[in-house]
Amino acid sequence: MEQGQQLTHILQQFDDCADFKHIAYPELNVDLLYFDHMIDAGKLSREVLSPLLSVTENEMASALARLTFTIKSENKEIVVAILSGSAALFHGGQAYIIDMYDPKGRAISQSETETTITGPHEAFSEPANSTLSLIRRRIRSSHLKCIRLQVGEVSKTDVYVLYVADIVNMDYVQELIRRIREIEIDAVHDTNMLVQLVDDKPASIFPQFYTTERPDAIASKLAGGRVVGVMDGSPFAFSAPTSLFEFFISSDDYYQRWSLGTATRILRFIAFIITILFTGIYVSVTTFHYEMIPQKLLLTLSESRSRVPFPPVYEALLMETVIELLREAGARLPTKIGQTIGIVGGIVIGQAAVQAGFTSNILIIVVASSAIASFVMPSFIMSASIRLIRFGLIVLAGIWGNLGITVGIAFLVIHLSHLTSLGSSYLTPVAPHKPGDWMDIFIRAPFKLLGKRPSQAKSPNPVRMKPKE
Amino acid sequence: MRNFSSRYMRLPLLLIFAGSLLLGGCGDQRILEQVGLIQTTSYDLLPNGELKIAVAIPRVEAESNQEREVLRTSAPTSKQARIQMSRQTSLQLVSGQLRVTLLGKSFVQAGIGDHLDTQTRDPAISPLMKIAVVNGDAEQLLNQRYSQHPRTDLYIERLLGKESDSHSIPKATLYEFVRDYYDDGIDPVAPMIRRAGENIVIDGIALFKDDRYVGRIPEKDAMIFACLHGGFKQGELGIRLRKKEKSTEAVVLTSLVSSRSIKVTGAGDKMKVAIDMHLNATVSEYIGGDLKLGKPRDLKKLEQKISAYMAAQAELLVKKLQQAGADSIGIGSYVRNHMGYPAWKKTNWGERYPRIEVHCKVKTRINNVGKMK
Repeated sequence: MEQGQQLTHILQQFDDCADFKHIAYPELNVDLLYFDHMIDAGKLSREVLSPLLSVTENEMASALARLTFTIKSENKEIVVAILSGSAALFHGGQAYIIDMYDPKGRAISQSETETTITGPHEAFSEPANSTLSLIRRRIRSSHLKCIRLQVGEVSKTDVYVLYVADIVNMDYVQELIRRIREIEIDAVHDTNMLVQLVDDKPASIFPQFYTTERPDAIASKLAGGRVVGVMDGSPFAFSAPTSLFEFFISSDDYYQRWSLGTATRILRFIAFIITILFTGIYVSVTTFHYEMIPQKLLLTLSESRSRVPFPPVYEALLMETVIELLREAGARLPTKIGQTIGIVGGIVIGQAAVQAGFTSNILIIVVASSAIASFVMPSFIMSASIRLIRFGLIVLAGIWGNLGITVGIAFLVIHLSHLTSLGSSYLTPVAPHKPGDWMDIFIRAPFKLLGKRPSQAKSPNPVRMKPKE
Repeated sequence: MRNFSSRYMRLPLLLIFAGSLLLGGCGDQRILEQVGLIQTTSYDLLPNGELKIAVAIPRVEAESNQEREVLRTSAPTSKQARIQMSRQTSLQLVSGQLRVTLLGKSFVQAGIGDHLDTQTRDPAISPLMKIAVVNGDAEQLLNQRYSQHPRTDLYIERLLGKESDSHSIPKATLYEFVRDYYDDGIDPVAPMIRRAGENIVIDGIALFKDDRYVGRIPEKDAMIFACLHGGFKQGELGIRLRKKEKSTEAVVLTSLVSSRSIKVTGAGDKMKVAIDMHLNATVSEYIGGDLKLGKPRDLKKLEQKISAYMAAQAELLVKKLQQAGADSIGIGSYVRNHMGYPAWKKTNWGERYPRIEVHCKVKTRINNVGKMK
């Protein structure tokens, strides 16, 4: 019999799958196949199991008519459907696919990596349908389009590309879809991994896609004419094209008064400079350029240096490594133990290292302030990148002094201007020079001045806000 | 993908290149605790024609309670002295933190000559370095321990800085000194200090003619010199308006804002120089006089008295400068602008300067007489 053959074939495919369920009703000639952890058990019992108990074989046709189903005949399609959370009901040589998908994910909770003080506190969670619902709730427009793609030969992960038609530049959408389709890999596990597979310059230290777990940020990117990607199984969504300066922006800037938003944004740029340069300048000044030390600092600095047995570059690398150890240990440990690590690291190591003459106390201040400054970056990925750049600059400063720092910064600028995100310059709006965008990059101007969408989006519909008469 | 791998093929080459460049930089390190930061240098001339040079270096080692180290030597030039001095210390002597140069009277009287060249040529030395002339032996002044001021070099630097901020001595940094030295219409000046027991005091202003010390202005005339030398924004001046023998009428002006302009008229032997000074001030003390400062008419009188006094003093001071042959206020540069460069080239200004006729005019305005009317 045909039904028997097809069923046996599919059962063979799910051989040795302990979590696979096969319920047979021989008197009704019905076989039900599904994964019970992927489906909504209540819905199954309400809509399928209980009606089946009360019908005879003759009444099956009318019972089935009450269900929502699709009929699939290809074995492969049926397997895929079961794997994506449907129940397959076999009856009379037909396979009825009933969608019961209900992934049991984490509840929507606060963002851990991108907290804000004001504004929405929701963050994405892993299942894509919850992520998509959070986005669609914020952009209730039929123009919000959502294209489904699959990535991973083994994992078959769903990736959704979202954009707002008429606002987005379709070139970016097509380019992103093309790149995602070209991925040939067994499995993708997170959005941050996915974006590295579609990066313009995979060897670069800088992230070329803006990843976030904040739905409000993603909604603003969509409304600003950018393309957004969502991956099932990852609480992060990404937007493109992006520029270096986007990583300095936090949603908080827009929820506070513009003057405060501007002040915070300037603070972040200062923090960026402190993070990459402060320790390097300490090293170069104490190794080569004693002329640059202010007279009042000279005595304290040389006094605390006089007890240190290492040259400044080793001293600085040592302390920077200790700080990175503390940070990494704190990140891997549960929150409560993490706090202990902070105390042990901050007080015990910091204080004792100076007293033991291991490092100078000025260096402790320098290293600590550049570490703190690096955490000011709203994007964790960017913050990690610039922390790494700092090490390169410390080594250059230890070898060449200020010349080395200059060379390092020059290489950094050259590299940044070489980078692209989905083919558009990573340094927009500085290069290419778009002064109109500066109001929303270096400062957060009042909203009436932010009437245009960012030029990087190359939107066919650039006006965002109608100017008041 | 091929593009990708070819980029990494170049990596070993790049590393070798970078490594060879990096190793090239190891020679000229100056690690902070291993250098002797010269903060003050002194120059004196010995009778045998050699220079006596001393330098003060701060010592910060925790084990030692010495706060500074003074090295001295005698040598024909300052760079040779540096070589000799480095034999006396464990530190590498560097001059990038040089703050003050003290010039002994014996040294400036003989003329500084090319010795300034060393300091202007060395890029490590800041043009903001202060220059002061010591009325006496500079090395002794620097080497002396002053019980109330543990670090002599810092003491001298702060003293000079504070005093030049209040305009009681001219601002004499290396930049200004060298600028005035090389400009042919003006001669440089420098503050003068001397030891007074357990302290160091400002001892007026040293006048130079070209590179040679030719005299000094006593500290009581320093403020008038400041008014003649150029405008300033914040100053203090005490005046004794002594008209009758027994009067003790005196006034102290604060918040003094002064500006001066120099005009040259006539040509040849009839050339005249007029110096116009404008003073704006607040009266902070008025003692021994019978003027009621609350009355506008009396205030006018006081203004006139001050103007007359200042003009007379200024003319005396200019006479003195002319006798010494030091064109410290830069009359020469105004004369040069007046007559044009070719004519100036033909003039022997050094010879002409003492004979030129200079008039001073002062206009005083009192803005405020304080709480008391």
